[in-house]
Amino acid sequence: MKSFQIRSKMVGGVAVLYLKGHLDAHQVARFEKELVRMIKDSNFNILINGQDLNYITSAGMGIIMGYIDEVREKGGDIKLCSLSERVHETFDLVGFTEIYDFVQNEQAAIEKFKPLPPKA
Amino acid sequence: MKNSNRFPPKPDFSITILSQTQLLKMVVELTRHIATLFQFPLAEAQKISLAIDEAVTNVIKHSYANKDDRPLTIEYYVAPDGILIRILYRGLPPEISDEEVNLGRMIKKKRKGGLGVKLMKTIMDSVTYQTVDGENRCDMIKWRKAK
Repeated sequence: MKSFQIRSKMVGGVAVLYLKGHLDAHQVARFEKELVRMIKDSNFNILINGQDLNYITSAGMGIIMGYIDEVREKGGDIKLCSLSERVHETFDLVGFTEIYDFVQNEQAAIEKFKPLPPKA
Repeated sequence: MKNSNRFPPKPDFSITILSQTQLLKMVVELTRHIATLFQFPLAEAQKISLAIDEAVTNVIKHSYANKDDRPLTIEYYVAPDGILIRILYRGLPPEISDEEVNLGRMIKKKRKGGLGVKLMKTIMDSVTYQTVDGENRCDMIKWRKAK
């Protein structure tokens, strides 16, 4: 079994990425590939659901950091939800909790997204 | 001020691995196991193992430029009041900035790297790098919390 799994689906106009397992530098390329695919498909409202994520390093957090500006420039956002206490603490250690929106659960997070501006 | 002279001259445990990211998870589990074996609480041991993951990742990515056939040694020294974890490797010496991480600026520059050292320094009580005769050394110390 793979130590890290990723899947995605659209929920109420929001692209939700479900991360599962252990996300480190060895696995991070798959996370980036999926995130880039979403952005290329003009999905700028992105929710990372980490309910089943039990470990993350700076490699994974760096991917979120690297694309957030582009997504916000397009009127969207990357939010995170349903993190375990341990994973949330890792984000907190680098100060992410002051810059990103961390929400308790998926439904509440989806309701916080603003509709994207109409395409030019 | 505590210093690294408190640790034994020889490591309590050491392992030499190849510079492969697929081995990171093993290093994390080993470090957590050693830290808990020497009475660090699990939550603390998990953070220490994350710091070691970051340090080893930096060695593989930057010093060895992702070449997967280079050796690196991780040594564990345990004292009654703390643990010293030393990573020995060759390749490019580390470029560690003392500049405070500015997340806002990093986001604007669309940077993906630079958080690992911040994590290491936040988790560990001391992180030092030095290069002697071509051998790089990263020393990370975590002191036990007084009961």
